[in-house]
Amino acid sequence: MQKENGFSREFLNAFVDNQLAPEEKSRAYNEIGRDEDLNRQVCELRKLHDLVQLAYRDVPAPPARPAAPVLRRNHVGVAAAVLVLAVGIVLGTQLRMPVTVHEQVADQAPVAIVPVVATADRVAPPRAVAAARSPRPTVRPAPAAVAVVPDLPITTAPRSINEIHIGNVRNKVLIHIANDDPARLSQAMDEIAGLMRHYRDIRASAHVEVVINGRGLELVRVDTSAHAAEIARLLNDYDNLTFAACQNTIDRLKNEQGITVRLLPGVVVTDSGMAEITRRQHQGWTYLQV
Amino acid sequence: MDLLDFFTRSREAQRALQQARARLYRVAYAWCHNTALADDLVQETLSKALKHSAQLRDPKARDAWLFTILANCFRDHFRKTREMDDIDEIEISDETTPETESSRGEIVGMVRSAIARLPKGQRQVVTLVDLEGFSYVEVSQVLDVPIGTVMSRLCRARAAMKNILLPEFQQSMAASNPSTLRRIK
Repeated sequence: MQKENGFSREFLNAFVDNQLAPEEKSRAYNEIGRDEDLNRQVCELRKLHDLVQLAYRDVPAPPARPAAPVLRRNHVGVAAAVLVLAVGIVLGTQLRMPVTVHEQVADQAPVAIVPVVATADRVAPPRAVAAARSPRPTVRPAPAAVAVVPDLPITTAPRSINEIHIGNVRNKVLIHIANDDPARLSQAMDEIAGLMRHYRDIRASAHVEVVINGRGLELVRVDTSAHAAEIARLLNDYDNLTFAACQNTIDRLKNEQGITVRLLPGVVVTDSGMAEITRRQHQGWTYLQV
Repeated sequence: MDLLDFFTRSREAQRALQQARARLYRVAYAWCHNTALADDLVQETLSKALKHSAQLRDPKARDAWLFTILANCFRDHFRKTREMDDIDEIEISDETTPETESSRGEIVGMVRSAIARLPKGQRQVVTLVDLEGFSYVEVSQVLDVPIGTVMSRLCRARAAMKNILLPEFQQSMAASNPSTLRRIK
């Protein structure tokens, strides 16, 4: 077992694959935050993980098969008899049973199977449930901007950052927010608004991506954001602006604190904020940390 | 009513198997990189799953159960086709991979080629973890190997892929503009 920076390679792989116990993971986060080399190794492992997923997202279709063999002649009679008997039994049973409203609705439901299972955890719950699951240590009055939120859709899962198409732009800026200090967040929002206005004024080809993780997630949570209206306005005004929340942070809040995060409309998610930052830096984006 | 439940459960099980088909095929393809063989393996897996569906006590364990059958089918296929000294250590050469030389320049082609070059055991572990998101414990059950073996295979697989893939990507990265660091106070 090879050790680097106090961690074996197996340990780093387990960290990337989310196989560590919470205390081990916490220790790893601390070390990774301090050690640049360790950070680089973790990023490389995450990149490999992403590449494998990318490589097999669309696989070639299997070759056409000959039609399935039909029932043999001597089995047809038996099959038909069993079928008639089964239909008779089922019909008899059904006719004697009252049909519930639920079953009526189910009968009218479309046949298509929607793959909602994978995203079930990420679909936002009703507001009352989210509020009940989100105990905060200190009660503070909700900012006025939050009042805008009730009209927003609450049942749509946030889009992935991968669905955002960023063309070949000249100025690519990544802003990283991992802080929940109100003064800094306000300043960051001012900076973002100013930057977007500047690029529009000079008609520059640009894209600004704001990656939010850790404590910074408060900025884009429906129940905590003090800048909901401002973010909505910016996203409405500028197509070349993206707010991306870290899915790892969202999962951690759910697992460790039981908080089901509801993101502001238009905010997308990225699997890992840290990996996204590294990816963008490798792609030549300018990195700004708040 | 029991009879109705029986038919409903049976239909649900068949639907679940049908939905798992695409995922089984994707992993089977990642293991063998051959569409016909992958399809045959999936067909055999589903056939066995239907035949032995009574063995599945916990529907939540259906995924791991299906992939265990797939892994057994895959192992049996190689057992039938030829004798081996140690199948885990056999490395598939570039020539036998389905990826053509022309697709090497593409990321997908490069990654598939790198995975095809991994020994079979490592290939299975890395695809089950990265594509299906199985935990190490589940992979250990699916492949019937100790969890330590899962971890070491995964570690070796990623190290090999890193050596193959990252230098090629770094070349293209070097061509792009260097990133700039700034801090807002």
